[in-house]
Amino acid sequence: MTHAVPGRPRVGAIARKVGGHLVRGLAMIWVVATISFVIIREIPGNPVLGQYESLIQKGMSPEQAERATAVLYGFLPTGNLWEQYVGYMGSLLHLDLGRSLSTPGVEVTTLIGHAARWTVLPVLAGTLLSFLLGVTMGVYAAIKRSGKLGDMLALSGSLLHGVPVYVIGLLLTAIFATLWPIMPSGGPVDVEFVPGFNAGYIGSLVHHAVLPVVTYTLASYGGWILAMKSNVVAVLGDDFILAAELRGLRRGFVFRYLARNAILPLFTILALSIGMLFGGSIFIEQIFNYPGLGLLLVNSISSRDYALMGGTFLVITVGIVVANIAADLLYTVIDPRVRSGGAA
Amino acid sequence: MTAHTAAPHMAARDMEAPGVRIRDLTVVYKTPSGELPAVRGVDIALAPGTITGVVGESGSGKSTLALSLLNAVQPPGRIAAGSVEIDGLGDVLTLRGEDLRRARGRQVGYVFQAAQNSLNPLKTIGKQLLDLGRSHDVEDLRALVRDAKDLLARMGMDGARVLDSYQHELSGGMRQRVGIMLALVLNAKVVVLDEPTTALDMITQATILRIIREVHEERALTTLVITHDVGAVAEVADSLAVMYGGRVVEHGPVTEVLGDARHPYTQGLIRAIPRLTGDLSLARALPGRPPTLGTLPKQGCVFRERCERRMDVCETDEPMSVNRDGRTVACHATDRHLTLVKRKEFV
Repeated sequence: MTHAVPGRPRVGAIARKVGGHLVRGLAMIWVVATISFVIIREIPGNPVLGQYESLIQKGMSPEQAERATAVLYGFLPTGNLWEQYVGYMGSLLHLDLGRSLSTPGVEVTTLIGHAARWTVLPVLAGTLLSFLLGVTMGVYAAIKRSGKLGDMLALSGSLLHGVPVYVIGLLLTAIFATLWPIMPSGGPVDVEFVPGFNAGYIGSLVHHAVLPVVTYTLASYGGWILAMKSNVVAVLGDDFILAAELRGLRRGFVFRYLARNAILPLFTILALSIGMLFGGSIFIEQIFNYPGLGLLLVNSISSRDYALMGGTFLVITVGIVVANIAADLLYTVIDPRVRSGGAA
Repeated sequence: MTAHTAAPHMAARDMEAPGVRIRDLTVVYKTPSGELPAVRGVDIALAPGTITGVVGESGSGKSTLALSLLNAVQPPGRIAAGSVEIDGLGDVLTLRGEDLRRARGRQVGYVFQAAQNSLNPLKTIGKQLLDLGRSHDVEDLRALVRDAKDLLARMGMDGARVLDSYQHELSGGMRQRVGIMLALVLNAKVVVLDEPTTALDMITQATILRIIREVHEERALTTLVITHDVGAVAEVADSLAVMYGGRVVEHGPVTEVLGDARHPYTQGLIRAIPRLTGDLSLARALPGRPPTLGTLPKQGCVFRERCERRMDVCETDEPMSVNRDGRTVACHATDRHLTLVKRKEFV
């Protein structure tokens, strides 16, 4: 079983697939960037022109005001829409998202970079943890579905799935930060430690991350366990599982057949959740005062910081587009039916 | 565990085909209205080296009977009574755990219906073959692969290519042959085929039936074929058992059962087959519906509701299986008729 068989993917085919995905992804990003450009230009109150006019009112000359606004938004407020659009796209190509309004003078990319640090790791940890936990418990819930353990697990999933994330977050803070204060109530790290690779700082980081990560894990665990349980139950009813048992396959093999087939559809959801991660988790970051991307987005909206808003949206878009492509390519690797193009 | 035996066709001649004796088998299913029998008091022997066909309508208990041969009745079903003796293996129904697992696949091969997907969609056939070999402690996996390729070639397929394929790359007929290969590759001597030709086109059906017959003879197997297709059975089987409502109502050599059916149900089944020549309206469907678990009569004959020869005794007494010149029939009317004929001869 070593020789190649026609119908197997070849390097050329894979490259073509990846290329196609990239083109589609870039087109998607371009569309979203265009829409956000138009919205910023066209929403009532036109913030760009408003900024320009308020600068003139403050006593700037039109040239100064024009330059200042251009610096803020990354494109000129004057001139026709097309020229401005070309300018905006040009700076996007240089990964220049303009400067923030609410934190004057700071580039949007810098702000997003800072916030991403506080979002990506905790949310990633929460996503992966809830995935592993939910999937494992889902298998048990399915196999023991006629017993007490299965009922309890399914119930825990339904309950947690139904409770909003902010309720879980507030409950955990109330219990572990107020009632029984073993956890910090908020913030990403204690200020007394010098940032860097030292035990105190890292320890404080982890300590502060526990409640947000646990909240995130509990909030998404319910979805995973329910999805995995129903997938396992469906695969258990498939004939190849019974067939494997009737051929006398070891339990380990049968279990692997079962688990691999059941987990397959969940990978899309997992990849998308990881993509959504760049949107941050607004509630969790608000509750635990975590200066992540979600909080950044909320703050940019409330302070009408349109350059920052546009930048944040763009980052979320890129995250989701990349995750989609990754999910699709992942399927090519793990599902042979997708690999050879079309079911029989 | 000894390693895999060498060439399958050589081994076949040396080994005697095992006999299978099913005695008083009763399988019940748990339902809201209590445990109801899907198979009741079935006595049937599969003679060594023969193909036995089991025909019956949906819900007649034939698949449950097939699964009983591997002690694999799925919950909510349960084998309530009886025994399944296989030569060299003993009573399968007493096997538990690892002993049962080892018997499945190695001593008793099971072939699923082709349209059902009996293969893991995420693994190549070759990898599943290796899983099978490892599960049964086959030491020489190379020899196992060689045997598998031989078997596939025997069935008219390119073995190397099939082993390298995924299930979705194979047609229904090819999958069915892969199923047969997986059931035989460990040298199982008893093979159960559940609806082997259902959902295949006519030409593939004919091919599969020919393969079953040929492989059966080459390897000296004892084979059980479950089907609802009387035509398929006529082509392949040596003896034929007819099931109705969980009972074997008639059993005997296939030519005799089909040529001179004694049970009213078998007669009805044969009348219902449309002929290739002649008027289509000559084929007459049996009146009424087959019973389900819930509508099975609690006493008397299971077939009486649809029977044109029913008598008073059918309402109250269940007909016993009566063996007469190598044929078994469970029917009051047939019994009385044959007894009368015998008496006349006697006088």
